[in-house]
Amino acid sequence: MSAVLNTSPAAETVVAGYRLSLRRFARNRLAVAGLVVVVLFLLFCFVGPLLYETDQTHTDLTQVNLAPSGAHLLGTDAVGHDELGRLMYGGKVSLLVGLAAGLLATVIGTLWGAVAGYAGGWVDAVMMRVVDAGIAIPALFILLVVSAVTSPGTLGLVVILGLVSWLVPSRLVRAETLTLKGRDYVLTLRATGGTHGRAVTRHILPNSVSTIVVAATFQIADAILLIAYVSYLGLGVRPPSTDWGGMLSTGLTAAYSGRWWLIVPPGLAIILVVCAFNAIGDGLRDAFDVRGRG
Amino acid sequence: MNHARTGLVAGAVLSAGTLLLAGCSGSGDTSSTSRDSINYALPANFTPNWILPIGTAAHLNTNNRSIADSLWERLVAYDGSTGKIAWNKKASIATAADFAADGKSVTFTLGNRTWSDGKPITSRDVEFWFNLIKANKEQWAGYTPGQSPDNWTAFKTVDDTHFTITFDKAYNPQWMLANEFSEITPLPQHVWDRTDASAEVSDADRTAAGAKKVWTYLNTAAKNIAGYEKDALWKTISGPYAVKSFSTSGKVVLTANKKYDGGEKPGIATVNLLPFTTTDAEKNALRSGGVDYGYIEATDLDQKEQFTAQGYAVKPWSGWAITYMPYNFNNPAMGAVFKQLYARQAVQRSIDQTSLAKVIFNGTAVTGYGPIPQGQASDFLSPAQKDNPYPFSTSAARELLTAHGWSEQGGVMVCAEPGTGDSQCGEGVDKGTKFEMEVLSQSGSTVTDNMMSAIQSSLAKTGIKFSIKTAPVNSVLSQTPQCTASQSLCKWQLSFFGTAGSWYFSAFPTGDSLFQTKGGSNFGNYSNPDVDKLITASTTSTSTQAIQDYSAALAKDLPVIWLPEPVYQVSVVKNGLGGFTQDSLANFHPAQWKWTN
Repeated sequence: MSAVLNTSPAAETVVAGYRLSLRRFARNRLAVAGLVVVVLFLLFCFVGPLLYETDQTHTDLTQVNLAPSGAHLLGTDAVGHDELGRLMYGGKVSLLVGLAAGLLATVIGTLWGAVAGYAGGWVDAVMMRVVDAGIAIPALFILLVVSAVTSPGTLGLVVILGLVSWLVPSRLVRAETLTLKGRDYVLTLRATGGTHGRAVTRHILPNSVSTIVVAATFQIADAILLIAYVSYLGLGVRPPSTDWGGMLSTGLTAAYSGRWWLIVPPGLAIILVVCAFNAIGDGLRDAFDVRGRG
Repeated sequence: MNHARTGLVAGAVLSAGTLLLAGCSGSGDTSSTSRDSINYALPANFTPNWILPIGTAAHLNTNNRSIADSLWERLVAYDGSTGKIAWNKKASIATAADFAADGKSVTFTLGNRTWSDGKPITSRDVEFWFNLIKANKEQWAGYTPGQSPDNWTAFKTVDDTHFTITFDKAYNPQWMLANEFSEITPLPQHVWDRTDASAEVSDADRTAAGAKKVWTYLNTAAKNIAGYEKDALWKTISGPYAVKSFSTSGKVVLTANKKYDGGEKPGIATVNLLPFTTTDAEKNALRSGGVDYGYIEATDLDQKEQFTAQGYAVKPWSGWAITYMPYNFNNPAMGAVFKQLYARQAVQRSIDQTSLAKVIFNGTAVTGYGPIPQGQASDFLSPAQKDNPYPFSTSAARELLTAHGWSEQGGVMVCAEPGTGDSQCGEGVDKGTKFEMEVLSQSGSTVTDNMMSAIQSSLAKTGIKFSIKTAPVNSVLSQTPQCTASQSLCKWQLSFFGTAGSWYFSAFPTGDSLFQTKGGSNFGNYSNPDVDKLITASTTSTSTQAIQDYSAALAKDLPVIWLPEPVYQVSVVKNGLGGFTQDSLANFHPAQWKWTN
């Protein structure tokens, strides 16, 4: 009973805090614009193919490299795929892989950072040296090596991107954990016989949500860029599947041929979505930042 | 934002911005070209690293050989530089080859030629090469067991300008000249026949032990690239050019050999051979006018006007090559399916070579339906191969499969009637086997990627699932070796390494290495005793009918998936540079280049 009495005001405070954060986020025009862009791209990629049906599985060598027209609003590519349909099709992969890999990296990084920060001592030292070592190796280098050795499918790409991207979130969450684990409510839990696991899952992680959410948005943006890089270098998903980076890579050969529709749309899509996720991340950070609250 | 992410975003914006601008950018300026020099672009990612006119496995590259040929002429220059593949006597040391009536020996006549130091080129210089190769054949890149020098039983000097080589049996003289004697390069015995740098010149090559020491000495010296310019060893030459400089970074400058007394006098005094790390770097140099003889990719052909406006001519360079995808007949999952001729016919009928050649390759490739290159007219090509025994038709391909016990389930053909009857799937094909195959394809080429996508699409219409996995070409070659079904590395099903052609032939296009049972480059373990006999006949018979029979048999039996034959390269040549034909054997011949205006 006492627990209920004790937690209800806290929960109300938390709810009130998140409402305040939401209001602050809503007042950030750039962040809202980013959110709108992301939603529009999600609709474009996932609902668009239902309204604008194209064959992205088979090639059509009688319809290659056509300029934009009524029949093909963004023209066709070098094997006859409708470019607008391809942008939707490739966007699905870019967004899905980006979201999944970004979330996977955040989950791994959060758990790693929370355990390291909470455990402290030699466990923390060892775990964070692993992170330091990982950060010292450029992610793009690891991706290129892995991709040269194996040809990953979509799921494989998610796992690989997730495994090379969790390092930064782990540092952020560890830092947050170090400040939280000395708080009274955590110490009280431990004094009353609460387990370490309960302390981490019921107190440390919930109170790190703002840090984790902000990190997640940036991780998604980074993952979308990484898959674009890897695909641009010809090591992305296998045909007939594609993603925006792969489209950009393919279109580059037409750079001097005037076929702008093979380069500009996927290039713009990458720029817009990555900037949008970064704007959302910045907005969320500002919204959760207690120092900015008036 | 943290710095790393800011960098990533900035990089993305910059990259994309650059690409957007690239779509609008124009061409660079043109620079005037000196009439006594020429800038030739070497293939991207190739660095010349061997001067010795004897190739070893680590230094086997056609461009190395082209440079060496400019310094030391071959006994028999059998190439395509005269417009057709034939003996180019102007670039050869020998002037005649008289085969004995029984076909078991040949007597060569040497021209009245001298080395650059004034000494005559004699039979002894050929014998020197012969002895070196006999004693060190395992290290020689041109060695195939059973062929030269194994099938050469003796070398007999008649006089300074005549010698006789005897064989273990009678051979087709054309094959002997084109594929075996064309490998011989007379070497300056009076300078090179020593066991180390401090030893006196002797007849060391006349014993096997001595020949091995001489081989080691020459190869050791050849490994010192920095010494090519100064080392006196490389100054005694017989070819039209000498080395002026040879950079370890890849730039080679050749200068005309003033003592040259052969038939191909150099037309341009200085030849600069330029290395490039990427094709894009080479294209940028071309656009800026810094290259007189370069290349673009087939996908760039629609920019032809840009290059012609800059004073270049675009000239596709056709290679004496075939292009194909080997089946792995020993693959545990699909080997039994690949062994069925009807299944291979269904695959071949699903590939629209005409459209691939016209659209994907921008018209630079030619269709290829068998083991003889079709980019050039030749007497080796059979009517059966030329006429395409399996024209493109996915409906006919489907009928082939359904007539042999396959039915389509979920878009993929599945074996429903196992057994060896006429209307059944065939020996070793189990019920429920899906017609699904995966290719490990060479990465890094948009044209290849597009071709694979198109093939995947047309095979899907037949009901064959075709997955594409990519890897760098060296990785493709190492991951798709000859194997037995029980080996773990036998999981590969199809292999593709032919972005610029899968296999470049010597002048006489025999299939002993490619399609003979257990042939050295028979990657997929194809085996057909009848074909083996035809291959043997093609190297021993004096009639061209033998090789035409071989051509027809393999066009029908489909040991591999035949694919369009791309050009060796799409050359971009400065206007005014002429006097030469691009050699389909993929060698370049600087002595033939001339500025015509």
